[in-house]
Amino acid sequence: MSRFYLYLSRCTTVLLMMTASVAWSQSTVSGRVTSADDGSGLPGVNVLEKGTQNGTVTNADGSYSLTVGGDATLVFSFVGFLTTEVAVGAQSTVDVALQSDVTALTEVVVVGYGTQEKKEITSAVSSVKETDFNRGTVNDPVQLLQGKVAGLNITRPGGDPNGGFAIRLRGVSTFGANTEPLIVIDGVIGGSLDTVDPNDIASVDILKDASAAAIYGSRGGSGVVLITTKSGKAGRVSVEYNGSVAAESIANTIDVMSAEEYRQVPGARDLGSSTDWLDQVTRTGRAMVHNLSVGGGTPTTTYRVSFNYRGEEGVGKASGFDQLNARLNLSQKALNDRATFTFGLSTTSKDAELGFDEAFNYAIIANPTMPIYDNTTTSPTAGANYGGYAERDIFDFYNPLSIVEQTVNDKKETRFLVSLRAEYDFSDIVEGLTASAFYSQQRENDLAGAFARKTSKLGGGNGLGRAARGTEDRFNHLFETTLNYNKGIGTADLNLLGGYSYQYFFTEGFGMEGGNFLTDAFTYNNMEAALDFQNGLGEVYSFAHSNTLVAFFGRANLNFAGNYFVSLSARYEGSSRFGENNKWGIFPAVSAGVTLSNLVSIPAVNSLKLRASYGITGNQPSDSYISLQRFGQTGSFFFNGIYGPSYGPISNPNPDLSWETKAEFDVGVDFSMLDNRLTGTIDYYTRNTKDLLVGVNVPVPPNLFRETIVNIGEIENQGLEFAFTYAAINKANFTWETGINWTNYLSNKIVSLTSGELSFGEGGVIYRSGMGSPGQNDTELVRVKEGDEFGQLWGPVKEGVNDDGTPKFADLNGDGTFCDCDDDRTVIGNGMPKFQFGFNNSFTLGNWDLNVFLRGTFGHDLLNSYRGFYENNEVTTVGNYNIVNTEYYDPAITKAVVNSSHVEDAWFIRLDNASLGYSFPMTGGAVNKFRLYFAAQNLFTITDYTGIDPEVRYADRGDSPTNPNDPGDGLSPGIERRSTYFTTRIFTFGVNLGF
Amino acid sequence: MKTKKSIFSRVLIVGLSLTFFTFSCTDLDEELYSDVTADNFFNTDEEFIAALGAAYEGLRGIGNHSNLWSINEIASDELVITTKGGDWYDGGVLIQLHQHEYTPDNGFFNNAWTQMYGGVNTCNRLIYTFEQLGTPEADAFIAELRAIRALWYYWLVDSFGRVPLVTDFTDATVPANVERQQIYDFVESELNAIIEALPTAKDASTYGRMTKWAALAIRCKLYLNAEVYTGTAQWQKAADDARNIIDNGPFNLELTYSDNFAITNQGSNENILVYPYDKVFATGFNWPMMTLHYASQGVYNFTAQPWNGYATVEEFYNSYIDPAQNPGPQGDVWAGLAQTPSVGTQDARLTNFIVGPQFNPDGTRATDPGHEANDPDGPPLTFTPQNNEIYPNGWRQGGARIGKYEYEQGGTDNMSNDFVIFRLADIILSLAEAEFRGGDAPAALILVNNVRARAGVDPFPALTEDLLFAERGREMFAEMTRRQDLIRFGKYGDAWWEKGPSDDHYKLFPIPQPQIDSNNKLTQNDGYAGSGG
Repeated sequence: MSRFYLYLSRCTTVLLMMTASVAWSQSTVSGRVTSADDGSGLPGVNVLEKGTQNGTVTNADGSYSLTVGGDATLVFSFVGFLTTEVAVGAQSTVDVALQSDVTALTEVVVVGYGTQEKKEITSAVSSVKETDFNRGTVNDPVQLLQGKVAGLNITRPGGDPNGGFAIRLRGVSTFGANTEPLIVIDGVIGGSLDTVDPNDIASVDILKDASAAAIYGSRGGSGVVLITTKSGKAGRVSVEYNGSVAAESIANTIDVMSAEEYRQVPGARDLGSSTDWLDQVTRTGRAMVHNLSVGGGTPTTTYRVSFNYRGEEGVGKASGFDQLNARLNLSQKALNDRATFTFGLSTTSKDAELGFDEAFNYAIIANPTMPIYDNTTTSPTAGANYGGYAERDIFDFYNPLSIVEQTVNDKKETRFLVSLRAEYDFSDIVEGLTASAFYSQQRENDLAGAFARKTSKLGGGNGLGRAARGTEDRFNHLFETTLNYNKGIGTADLNLLGGYSYQYFFTEGFGMEGGNFLTDAFTYNNMEAALDFQNGLGEVYSFAHSNTLVAFFGRANLNFAGNYFVSLSARYEGSSRFGENNKWGIFPAVSAGVTLSNLVSIPAVNSLKLRASYGITGNQPSDSYISLQRFGQTGSFFFNGIYGPSYGPISNPNPDLSWETKAEFDVGVDFSMLDNRLTGTIDYYTRNTKDLLVGVNVPVPPNLFRETIVNIGEIENQGLEFAFTYAAINKANFTWETGINWTNYLSNKIVSLTSGELSFGEGGVIYRSGMGSPGQNDTELVRVKEGDEFGQLWGPVKEGVNDDGTPKFADLNGDGTFCDCDDDRTVIGNGMPKFQFGFNNSFTLGNWDLNVFLRGTFGHDLLNSYRGFYENNEVTTVGNYNIVNTEYYDPAITKAVVNSSHVEDAWFIRLDNASLGYSFPMTGGAVNKFRLYFAAQNLFTITDYTGIDPEVRYADRGDSPTNPNDPGDGLSPGIERRSTYFTTRIFTFGVNLGF
Repeated sequence: MKTKKSIFSRVLIVGLSLTFFTFSCTDLDEELYSDVTADNFFNTDEEFIAALGAAYEGLRGIGNHSNLWSINEIASDELVITTKGGDWYDGGVLIQLHQHEYTPDNGFFNNAWTQMYGGVNTCNRLIYTFEQLGTPEADAFIAELRAIRALWYYWLVDSFGRVPLVTDFTDATVPANVERQQIYDFVESELNAIIEALPTAKDASTYGRMTKWAALAIRCKLYLNAEVYTGTAQWQKAADDARNIIDNGPFNLELTYSDNFAITNQGSNENILVYPYDKVFATGFNWPMMTLHYASQGVYNFTAQPWNGYATVEEFYNSYIDPAQNPGPQGDVWAGLAQTPSVGTQDARLTNFIVGPQFNPDGTRATDPGHEANDPDGPPLTFTPQNNEIYPNGWRQGGARIGKYEYEQGGTDNMSNDFVIFRLADIILSLAEAEFRGGDAPAALILVNNVRARAGVDPFPALTEDLLFAERGREMFAEMTRRQDLIRFGKYGDAWWEKGPSDDHYKLFPIPQPQIDSNNKLTQNDGYAGSGG
């Protein structure tokens, strides 16, 4: 017994001594991490003591210093390089040269419900990393991608800070239902981009072809954009601050006459002053962005918290916003590291002043000799009744400064998104099996208020004042479960995925509008005081609607020896919005690829992969209940002395209403050459959309209602996409990387507009989109014709000018006279682009970095509305408004009639953004990154177009859009309306700090 | 080491929880919140009334621009809309209508067609629904619905002529046109069947609704125009119906002509059938916007700015003030360029017009800052009965404007006056015409002179066809009868201001092109493109 105790005490002593020696044999190791390629120092490399949570990060020079225990092993890891482990032993200096990853194609790409290595992808997927994003003051996440992806065209004509972007992927393949791609944010399908601040986005992956998007079923028809936000990294805590200030000014507007020029025109109404109206309603805009993020974690817990503030004073007076977004991403392993819980929470609160865009429209066409103020009651510009602002008694004109200063248009937006994912790894029971459950909830709330003073001529209720207040709440929650199984079979790898998804949406809202206030002091905050409500003249409304989506999906990915890849997927989805007979649909896809470079040795080529895919995606309607027969109030009925409601049908039933189907075939090549310095992708796609969801006019007998939503028609698109990046120069002190992407839109054709007896349009042709007033209400600008290319602009052809000043139009049908009807009109242009490109160059020289991005679009025309109404010497144009004075102005024309001379080729090349930055060398200490930068957006535009913005217009939003989020009429591209804001130029100065 | 049992139970728990969620949620039924479907309607009396109201709802379009009233009035010699520079050209459709060069693709025709057939459809639907219900309350409404439907078909046979006859709501076959005679026969037979079932009272419960008298009025006008519709005149039957209304109906001529058209005209003893507009509850009566000048907004303190459209043709206006055409007491009237008053007949019905210098409420002259260089008096707003041209630069202040219905100070773009569809004076003149055509000129003369006496003008010594035609014109200005009268008296193809002689085929409006395109069984009326005739 005593011998045992002796033995025990000896062991303990030795143990204690060993631990003591261990405990007190901590040493400091330092060194420098360099790149094996060129010996340059690598900042930001994670240096971790293996098996512990003790770690650091290399500084700008590549140096690090870490206190470690005895027998430590250091693990060096960094994206793009192979992770290296070095045993410290007795060394106090450990320098490491990291090898870069052999092929760039080992990077990981996010695809639907998972990730895939880039070298295994068999569909057309584009990835945009944070370093590729557009720079400058970018408030909308979508703008980060503008011009960066072949086939993706993102436009926002003009520079409205509260306006939305239009996104089109691979041309126009639908017009009735949703034309924008599906947005997925960290797995939340249909997440709102308002919940993501651009500073929090790590990468964006775009699923371009049907085989990639088919896994999202009836909402994947226009492509899918997957956004991944930044998450914490294990290791030391990292704190980042980014801040910037920016100034914004008008870049381009349309040329109109100055006061002196206007006075020379015969018939000009000289009102005695000289006013620069646009100057009166605009200012230099300012913006400020602050972003603070804290992230870190351990191998089992990682987190990232960020606070983002954005504030902007728009170029238009009385427009701008203030916004705060906060986000938390937390990931925690549990249950023996088998389970992972990922929690995401994001909330945004925004206060916006929208203003009324009409102010800019009227500022542009206002008579330049009109005074701004006029306190008389009798002069032609008497404004005593309008608060002292000069006003004229003519059709369609209001003092722009009065609109800006006497009206209020506010909106408060709250967004809330929370998600939780639980994953469990069953590998101890069944090797390779994991399961996950996901739940997310999103709530968006808008609160709007608008008010016009009694003295405001626009909207002021003719001296009584008028206010409106309303709110809308959009809620959705998503529940998904998936099972994932990975198995190796010989030289092949199999990955199977199966899952279920349920998503429910509910939108509700209410509002009121009324006027006749005693005082202007309340604006919209005391609607009770509006006497209209007591007099029965006020309006009150409320509404609610919902819809549900349920799906079962599955996917199988096969990888044969790393050379051959096959992927099969299918989604069986049902939407409540379809008709009773067609609620469910199946969306399958198949794709395959082969890495030729592994099989055949090709000189100078590091890797070459061929792939082909075919898939079917769908599109659901954008409204609920349209397949049902509904009754609603159609008016009032005077019965027994009082007015009661009268009810009648407001829709026709269509129990066969089903989804739009798009079938797409894509073939592509991914390659990298010259030691992986040149990488590229080429894709050819052809897509065919059938059963488009549109409302067709039906004969009034025997149907109840004049319009029915049906599935009808067919559209075809084809195109070629190219994307290349080349690391041209990669020296120690100087690097230059260049990248270019371009897209050839080969065709976008309307194959059919009829289905049996039904036809969208009459006889396979639709004319739509009237020019507008004054005086051109019935003139239609767009033709959509079966068998022709989409996007035709329609009108008469101008040959010259008659003696009486009216334009002389060509007699196209040869019958001797011009008939002012469709027989003598023709296609005068096309609003769809043929070719677009994005060209990026990044340079680093020492501590300086320069990035320049050019993009352009060619082959599209625009109808210049301002010229069509006001570029003439017509009596009403000259007497009431100002005259548009571009290079095409002809004083001999005395009649405003829109025609072929108002359609212009709108090709352009734009320097979209350029940024120059300097990173101060950091030599240890708390701060490991300090960079100052200067960025310019929209620096210049090269174009022949005389209008405001040569950007493509995919949808027509008319002359006075009341809702900036209204997607507009997707059938009428190519028209620049008078509601276009001017374009702006932004200069930003900012700082990036890292701790 | 894990036991099989614990592995199994773990898998079971996970598997069960997954499937639990899966199979409970494949429900895709739609739930409505702000709309109703046929299933949850027609349960209470109020819902019946609301459903019935839909049948009258279609009449709401009668008081605004670009539908049935517009095509009837602009194609007549009463009203015109000139192109004023950049305003009102609208692709030439208004000039086309005035000059009788209209084509099937003129959007106004489709508006009128869908307006009328919308009404027919609703009546058919409600007749079917109420027949299914079979309750006594439902049956009582069926006669009323058939009468409303007869009114629509009367207007259809009058305007488009060869239209489809659709009466059975359950019949889903696409219809073809039938000949005018068949529509005429249908209207006649419907009215014959239900006239006695309709109420005869004139009180709040029947105001704005079909009564026996309204149905008689339709039948009277149908018979009056029978020769135009079918080739066979029915003067005697027209006279009988008119006499029935005059002798037995609870109507009298109002002492003051304009009382029939006042803002609160529901007390009129002369109106037989109206559509009860209201600026809040039943909007759509937009005449102040359609006819008055932009600066009239200040004259009447309107909340919206008028559009400066409809104006009266000068020849027609002169038929009131010219003592040779309209003998009566002479006094100050506005004529021609209206710079100073002229002397002319002071017909009480001149309240039909807004003419001459316009004044703001504070007494100052209303001004038109956008006036043309060749405007007769420049900035001051003066509506001149004389007009210069229809195109391209009609005077902004040209033409006497419609003043028939009283405009409200401080009004909105919608009027509260009730729109008169049938009126006793029209029936009296119809009786006069029927008797005149039947050979009894002296009896007709007495009736015409009754109407003239109410208007404060001298009686005619003798009656001719032209005098009868002109009197109808003066009495029924803008009440949608002039085109009918022009056709019946054989004057529709004549020339008038800014219009040349026109072909006979224009007496029928063309079937709208969108209808032809969406229904391949419809054929176009003779003389129009695509008619094959």
